[in-house]
Amino acid sequence: MNTVKLYLHSMKMLLKSQLQYPWSFCLQTIAQIVMEGGEMMAVLLILNRFQALNQWTGGDLLFFFGIMSITFYLTECFGRGITGNFAALIRSGNLDTFFLRPRGIMTQVLCHAIDPRRIGCIAVGAAALALGCRESGVIWTVPKIFLFTEAVFFGMLLILGLFLIEAVFAVHSVKSIELVNAVTYGGRSACQYPIDIYPGPLRVLFGTLAPFALVLHVPATVILDKPLMGMDGAIAFLCPMAGLMFFIIMYFVFQKAMKYYRSTGS
Amino acid sequence: MHFIEVEHLNKSFTVRKKREKGHFLREKTVIHALQDVSFSIDKGELVGYIGPNGAGKSTSVKILSGILTPDSGCANVGGFTPWKDRKNHVQHIGVVFGQRMQLWWDVPILDSYQLLRDIYKVERNAFEKRLEELADALDLTSLLHTPLRLMSLGQRMRAELCGSLLHSPKLLFLDEPTIGLDAVSKLKLREFLQKENKEKGTTILLTTHDMEDIAALCSRVMVLGHGKKLYDGHLPELLARYDTQRTINVRYDADPDFSALPDSCSLQKDGDNYIITYAPETIPTAEMLALLQKAGSMQEMTAQSQNIDHLIARMYKEMDL
Repeated sequence: MNTVKLYLHSMKMLLKSQLQYPWSFCLQTIAQIVMEGGEMMAVLLILNRFQALNQWTGGDLLFFFGIMSITFYLTECFGRGITGNFAALIRSGNLDTFFLRPRGIMTQVLCHAIDPRRIGCIAVGAAALALGCRESGVIWTVPKIFLFTEAVFFGMLLILGLFLIEAVFAVHSVKSIELVNAVTYGGRSACQYPIDIYPGPLRVLFGTLAPFALVLHVPATVILDKPLMGMDGAIAFLCPMAGLMFFIIMYFVFQKAMKYYRSTGS
Repeated sequence: MHFIEVEHLNKSFTVRKKREKGHFLREKTVIHALQDVSFSIDKGELVGYIGPNGAGKSTSVKILSGILTPDSGCANVGGFTPWKDRKNHVQHIGVVFGQRMQLWWDVPILDSYQLLRDIYKVERNAFEKRLEELADALDLTSLLHTPLRLMSLGQRMRAELCGSLLHSPKLLFLDEPTIGLDAVSKLKLREFLQKENKEKGTTILLTTHDMEDIAALCSRVMVLGHGKKLYDGHLPELLARYDTQRTINVRYDADPDFSALPDSCSLQKDGDNYIITYAPETIPTAEMLALLQKAGSMQEMTAQSQNIDHLIARMYKEMDL
């Protein structure tokens, strides 16, 4: 409970410090809306040209885009401490400072940054989602709302876990940003479309190693009332757990990396 | 039982260097940052920790504050082993780095302090009381609503110090706290540290290159070089070992005749001034003065003791650092 309180207090303070530069804040938020709006336009243009992609209608595609944007940018907004530049945290010596305080390192990493400008991207995602729901005629029921929330939440954990890979590499002074970006930002770009439009290797990548398909696509399919490759819809409630598992594994790898950091020096 | 007990601490780093040829293979060099360092410090002591750059001072501070884990050896700080019981240990220490700010840059320092209160779980009333006391002593009361980025270096340093003492630590590590400060700020800071040490009984370990800080504050110094502890004791005693020379500045009415001066002293001419350096051990000062008076009719004379920085430089040189 105390950790949550600390996180909220940190958020409040970080927001205050971002708002020290109101103009910069506004302009950057607008820039983000334009950027993410552009991505959404791309989906709309595809829809204009093709009526459907495999079994997916235009509304479905917007839904996929929306759930991915919301998940990804909520993570970047609230988990900026992890999704930001971890290598810089080491170089600047700020990581050392975290060791000097009586709180967990992961807690402090999470508490040290937020990116409220992402609110623009989240809004675009929400708009796409609403539009998609209308087009596809999604009828929201309590289990569907629960499934959606679950997918977004565990999706956030998955994304945090993926960014932790970069942090772990950074501790071992390996530059990995391009490699890890392939599954983080690359994953976002690829998985804003349903996974079955991609060839085998990519399906394997996003189905197992970076399981966006399990965490986001399976629930999305069920919410859109589409067949789940012959499987029972109830399984959709289990699949997002993959995100939780991924995060837990990366959490322990991260703790191990912190031990390594303390024994090798800086 | 001492407050801080350090025994046989060892720490080495492996540095990978690129070879001149080849891109993948790298040469490994092992740097022994600390070699068999042992010492103990009692509660309420104010100890200076000196040594040239790269001597291992920062490494020891990092180990004692819980940032690094040593290769071998043991340490007990107020009942905790820093690297094994980090969270409990850091609850009772404060650390200030002169070259690195720990407060948040863009918000008023009061906000930073309130967050620190939550981080250290300081009780609200105790926090208010402590903050008032510290702000008063460090002259920060009027600055509490100013963001750190708008402060001068001296103000920032005081703000940092205040932040590191809010949870009333028993032990304070200071790593070059006066670096870059003007004379007034320096003196104020020293005065504050002295008071904090005396009144609160806070144990302070001060790392610095500023020998005046050490001379003004510390009853005890430890010298570290090449990762080894070379001296541990009182500063005056240490200086006395190297303070073997005296310098006299003299000016004469006419050209003096120095032929009577012994070879063991050195003579330099700087304009009208003559600078004579001698060792009182070989020629007693009284004898030296008599010789100088014989050399001509003296206009002016000043005697200087050696600058503390020179002494330390000589010490480092003799210790082969």
